[in-house]
Amino acid sequence: MSATGFTGIVVIVLFVGLMVFFSFINKDRKTYNIRPIPAYDKIIQEINVAVEDGSQLHISLGSGGITGAESAAALAGLGILKQVIEKSSVCDHPPVASTGNPVISILAQDTIKGSSKAISVSDNIENPSGELIGVTPFSYAAGALSTIRNDNVSANIHTGWFGNEITWITTAGERQSSPTIAGTSQLPAQAVIYASASDPLIGEELFAGGAYLGAGKMHQASISAQDVVRWIIIFIILASVLLNILGIDVFIEKILAGSM
Amino acid sequence: MKINLKSPVSTAIAIGVGIIVLAGYFIPSFVNIRFILLRTGLVLAAVALLVGIINLITVHIKKLGADSENSGYSLILVIALLATLIIGIIDMVQTYLVGKPNFQMTSWIFTNIQLPIETSLLAVTAVSLTYAAASILRKRMDLFSIVFFFVVLLVLLGSFSIPPATLPFLHVIRDWILRVPALGGARGLLLGIALGAITTGIRVLMGTDRPYGE
Repeated sequence: MSATGFTGIVVIVLFVGLMVFFSFINKDRKTYNIRPIPAYDKIIQEINVAVEDGSQLHISLGSGGITGAESAAALAGLGILKQVIEKSSVCDHPPVASTGNPVISILAQDTIKGSSKAISVSDNIENPSGELIGVTPFSYAAGALSTIRNDNVSANIHTGWFGNEITWITTAGERQSSPTIAGTSQLPAQAVIYASASDPLIGEELFAGGAYLGAGKMHQASISAQDVVRWIIIFIILASVLLNILGIDVFIEKILAGSM
Repeated sequence: MKINLKSPVSTAIAIGVGIIVLAGYFIPSFVNIRFILLRTGLVLAAVALLVGIINLITVHIKKLGADSENSGYSLILVIALLATLIIGIIDMVQTYLVGKPNFQMTSWIFTNIQLPIETSLLAVTAVSLTYAAASILRKRMDLFSIVFFFVVLLVLLGSFSIPPATLPFLHVIRDWILRVPALGGARGLLLGIALGAITTGIRVLMGTDRPYGE
């Protein structure tokens, strides 16, 4: 096994261990102190607004699939979709989900069906829908505009894999004066989101949706695990800088290379 | 008694396949089986595309029936989709008869319709991005938005090659911004994203996140 492979296994085992540990020690805790993220507060607020005024939420999951680098963002988007469906079960009009990827479209429909069944949404209530509205990023963004411009849509939640085309979607939401909560894992698109969305999700905030929307202890435990690993990384970076300043890094490299 | 076997079976498949594919990245003896599973996944994704297209047609046919101002766009989409599908089938039949690849009509559609449309949409994106950058201070007047706005302005000015924006210090500032704070910030964000992505993947592998129904 290569050194990279070994490091990868160590990182994954460390994460699994920390997640299990934190979920175990916090299993009886009723409250969990996590820093506030305004975008998730806004989602809960908008669900309440939709319940009260009979409007609808639009959740767009982007055009990423599950076989590439974009899969984590797409899975995070599906997790947020599930929580929104469960929390908006008493809405007159259930949320509408849109995506630009056929696999995510099937998973979104499955998530919607599973969540609706779990919360016993009765058959006479309009079923939430998962729509594939375009198979390229631009066609998806163009297709999503008609859903955003629907007068019954009170807020738009864009969580998944988006490129720069997200600027169309977010500015369209702004023109409709409807709140826009958006997050993606692509860096250039994050800059666009910061400039154009009313409530942006920056960096790893996209992946924290489950912990903030009440998806369970394991989601909260994964936030704690991330914090622990983040501190380890900070320590490693600071130690590397210190070694570099003192010139010890060259000494260690020479020892590792066997030249001393 | 009705027993629901779908959930445990799908969960077992997802966890099993996920663990084998993950192991393939680290343990050389799992590489072959990882490639087989990934190739199978890609084939299934192609089948999902067919299902997705059926979903796409269904959604837009429903919109055609509804009294909506956007029903005209749905009509165009359905006609374009069916026309492209028929042309693609004709090309495939011709390829089969000739015995060598012959996708002239399909290529013509991509070169003369798809490509110009996507290119013009890219141009519209540039306008939309400019609008978004200009309107940030109207949306959120806080310290970070002000910093964001002026950094965008400085980097743009530093990129110009026409006077009066050719002042040497603008180029120096632009290069410093790109090399130091922008690169550092991007690395920090990527680290956070990587940590979030790892925990998301692990939750799927542990079966606590099941984005494939209950």
